[in-house]
Amino acid sequence: MLTASISLRDVGRRFGATRALADVDLDLKPGVIGLLGPNGAGKTTLLRLLATALPPTQGQVSVLGLDPEVPAERTGIRRQLGYLPQEVGFPRGFTAFAFVDYIALLKEWTEPAARHAEVRRVLDLVGLSDLGPKRIRAMSGGQRRRVALAQALLGSPLVLILDEPTTGVDPEQRVTLRTVLAEIARTSIVVLSTHQTEDVAALCERVIVLDRGRVRYDGPVTDLVGQAAGRVWLADEPDPAASVSWRTGTGRYRNVGVHARDGVEHVEPSLEDAYLLLRGGSPESKPAEEVAS
Amino acid sequence: MSATLAAARPEAAAGRTTFVALAAREMRRFVVNPVFLFVVGMTAWTTWAGRSPSVTEIDTVNPYPAIFLGGFGMMATFWLTRSMRASEPVVGVTPTALSARTAALCTVAVVPFLCGCLTLFAFLHFHPVGDSVYGAFSPPAQVAVLVGQIVVPSLGGPLLGVALGCWVRFPGAGFVLFLILYGWVSLVTILSMSHPDSTPVAVLRLFAPFAFFTLHGNAADVTAWRGSPWFFTGWQLALCAIAVLVALLRGAEGRARFRIIGTLSVVPVAAVIMLVLAGTGGFTHAVTA
Repeated sequence: MLTASISLRDVGRRFGATRALADVDLDLKPGVIGLLGPNGAGKTTLLRLLATALPPTQGQVSVLGLDPEVPAERTGIRRQLGYLPQEVGFPRGFTAFAFVDYIALLKEWTEPAARHAEVRRVLDLVGLSDLGPKRIRAMSGGQRRRVALAQALLGSPLVLILDEPTTGVDPEQRVTLRTVLAEIARTSIVVLSTHQTEDVAALCERVIVLDRGRVRYDGPVTDLVGQAAGRVWLADEPDPAASVSWRTGTGRYRNVGVHARDGVEHVEPSLEDAYLLLRGGSPESKPAEEVAS
Repeated sequence: MSATLAAARPEAAAGRTTFVALAAREMRRFVVNPVFLFVVGMTAWTTWAGRSPSVTEIDTVNPYPAIFLGGFGMMATFWLTRSMRASEPVVGVTPTALSARTAALCTVAVVPFLCGCLTLFAFLHFHPVGDSVYGAFSPPAQVAVLVGQIVVPSLGGPLLGVALGCWVRFPGAGFVLFLILYGWVSLVTILSMSHPDSTPVAVLRLFAPFAFFTLHGNAADVTAWRGSPWFFTGWQLALCAIAVLVALLRGAEGRARFRIIGTLSVVPVAAVIMLVLAGTGGFTHAVTA
């Protein structure tokens, strides 16, 4: 009996001289875990490690109590895995149904009636039940993304790894997707990498912030947001004391910084505020760390 | 949103069951491929057109099944193998290993192979064994020539396409290899015309997945060239085995990889032995009958 758990001990990954991940220690249990970080922080590398698509160059990864380095155990993990990569290409001429059906076959759904029922179920989950016979090449970007997501949901996997699942998906579908993921997370580990902090705020109990390959924060979303309490304020001008400021739709400036001046108008912080504060207010991406090989 | 979230995970099916289902799926994809449909149509048409009593030697007809079922079949399986490359981030983390997916693709070659067998029977119907179009070869050798010219290329070409698709990224690689093979066969055939009794030229002519064995010299005579069609078929089958092993090597790991590499160190030796025997066997000089 497999239990839904993932552990990483001192895990690192290098690509030549570039260190994409370093000293990552994590224990993941069922629930939705948000993964935040700037571009190049190592999010995709971490997800590929969890999805058995990439081996670590340092440390130990255990998924469902199995070792992905051992071929037989890796197959065991893959039987319980759903993975949505950041970018998915589709073969020419495939319809949505045919593509998901093909992946279902590779996921060992060999009995046609059960497989077809499962394909219809996941297409329905992502709101594509009417578009099954449509060629993927003729679909919009958001619809293609949902086809890719549908294949990850096949078989209600114990481990669901999603790399930016809501990219190009309309707000209505995003809300639907949140419902689906929340339901799956009752028994499964759902790791969700995204730049959409509102998705993390709405879905996740726990958030991991990566920066330059290292875990910068790992804990409850509420705690991270709480760290920003009293550090977000509105003003008529950008405040020099703030780490980051931007003009809101009301014409006033939202300021985020460690040291707010006295007498300013404090507002309730959002996860985005907390994230920016954690990162030192820099919305700029930083490259992965270079190390001597 | 009426879908349910009930888990409906399958039992971990035996690898063999998945393989059979996947092989059937790949065959279906291959059979509906427009290139394959074109191949079948052209092979049937050229075989039918070749039944004419005016045909005086087999080599005016036999290259067509090899070109279409073998050459174009190679391009079709190359495309089939490459078609999932864009989806590799998804496909690559399924429980079905790359080697199993490649093996399923290799089984697709059964389809053109069976087409080649049918073509052979049609050819034998139109030109029965013993017909003067076969030249001086004995009746069993005549069948061996036909098997080597029609049936085995129909199997080997598609297998080569799978191997190429596994290892080469260039999208036009299938077509380029087809041109190279076509050019090589043409070149060594021309050489054989000018040096029909030369052993090295015979070996060069047979150093290809397809080779001519006869030449229609004038209105009445057919010249049978040097070389053993039996050993040539052995050489071709060894090439087929190499293509399968090279394809399976991609993504193989652990003990399976060790076994493939071990086998790959033996089969080429067998292939070379077959080639030498093919070049030195058969007639000791060109025979005109």
